[in-house]
Amino acid sequence: MAARQLGMTRPALALCSMTSAAVVAGPAFGHFGMLIPSDPMVSQQDMRTIDLELSFSHPFEATGMDLARPKAFGVLHNGESTDLLDTLSEARVLDGAAWAGSFTPERPGTYVFHMEPQPYWEPSEDVFIVHYTKTYVSAFGDNADWDAELGLETEIVPLSRPFGLWSGNVFQGIVKAGGEPVPYAEVEVERYNADGAIEVPSDLMITQVVKADANGVFTYAPPRPGWWGFAALTTADYQLPHEGVEKDVELGAVLWVRFEPWPE
Amino acid sequence: MRTPPFNAPTKVVGALLALLFAPSGPAHAHQLNVFAFIEEGAIVVEAKFSSGRVAREGVVTVYDAADALIHETRLGADGSVRLPRLANEGGLRIEVSAGDGHSNYWILTPQDMARASVDAETQS
Repeated sequence: MAARQLGMTRPALALCSMTSAAVVAGPAFGHFGMLIPSDPMVSQQDMRTIDLELSFSHPFEATGMDLARPKAFGVLHNGESTDLLDTLSEARVLDGAAWAGSFTPERPGTYVFHMEPQPYWEPSEDVFIVHYTKTYVSAFGDNADWDAELGLETEIVPLSRPFGLWSGNVFQGIVKAGGEPVPYAEVEVERYNADGAIEVPSDLMITQVVKADANGVFTYAPPRPGWWGFAALTTADYQLPHEGVEKDVELGAVLWVRFEPWPE
Repeated sequence: MRTPPFNAPTKVVGALLALLFAPSGPAHAHQLNVFAFIEEGAIVVEAKFSSGRVAREGVVTVYDAADALIHETRLGADGSVRLPRLANEGGLRIEVSAGDGHSNYWILTPQDMARASVDAETQS
């Protein structure tokens, strides 16, 4: 009815809608806080010092944004937290400002590295973005505490051991906020194409999207090996000022997991 | 900031040691993990299964860089044992055999031994 009143034909209306959508939405890039270790499974034969790469990027598209010096960066092992913020040095990742760190595990077990960035102002979405980002590293064959929970404002608690996974394995985690599961949370999933973006038949293929169930549990099975990021997004119950105006804050619970290729 | 026990040259040395010392631990559902470190002048050996349970008994054997057996003892009920400091700048391979094919090893590299000596001197 409205189209008729405006004198539009159906094709014209459709074209108008498509143009409008393109202007408003733009490319389907997913923002991801990124925390990538040089090795998620350190063995005694390996270089025992882990290099860590902290960035804020579009991982599938292999484009970086600028990550300000993180607000917090640390590691949890055997219930003990270690502040690593002072170990960071400036770096470049995907042509964006980033941070580099290193850490040498001295005992077996799971090391949970985590980063809290400063709020990132995203003008195109009119929102601040804060991605609480973490990754799990196993040292010397010991996988104790692989499901450790950090108690972050929001985080993904793994239900599948987050290292030593084959490509194609199902991965499950619980999305939590304030320590409680988030029912039906939306989780964006992207592969880190560090060697450059790959061609896709549709922008819809860049970011995979799944929803958690009523208990906050989500499931995904990456089709290819590599680093895959899981970002559960919620809106904070507070706002932050931008040029004198209060703006919403997108909170991300981001987890990076590497899936290994099946040996041929 | 922690002091890395290894640097790049160390990795090469470690790889050489790994080649010199025949690896033993098969990886299966109840893999035995062995770890050793030097603390207060003693070598501490810990062994536990991938399930998280400690190995309640097992034979601990220590080999030098020439693959000669230089020490043998048994694990304590807590899955660990403290060995006397065995002077060996060339590094040590410490094997634990917990029966039923459950065995594995840890290598204390020359750098581990040297670092422990430095730490001991610093503390004294």
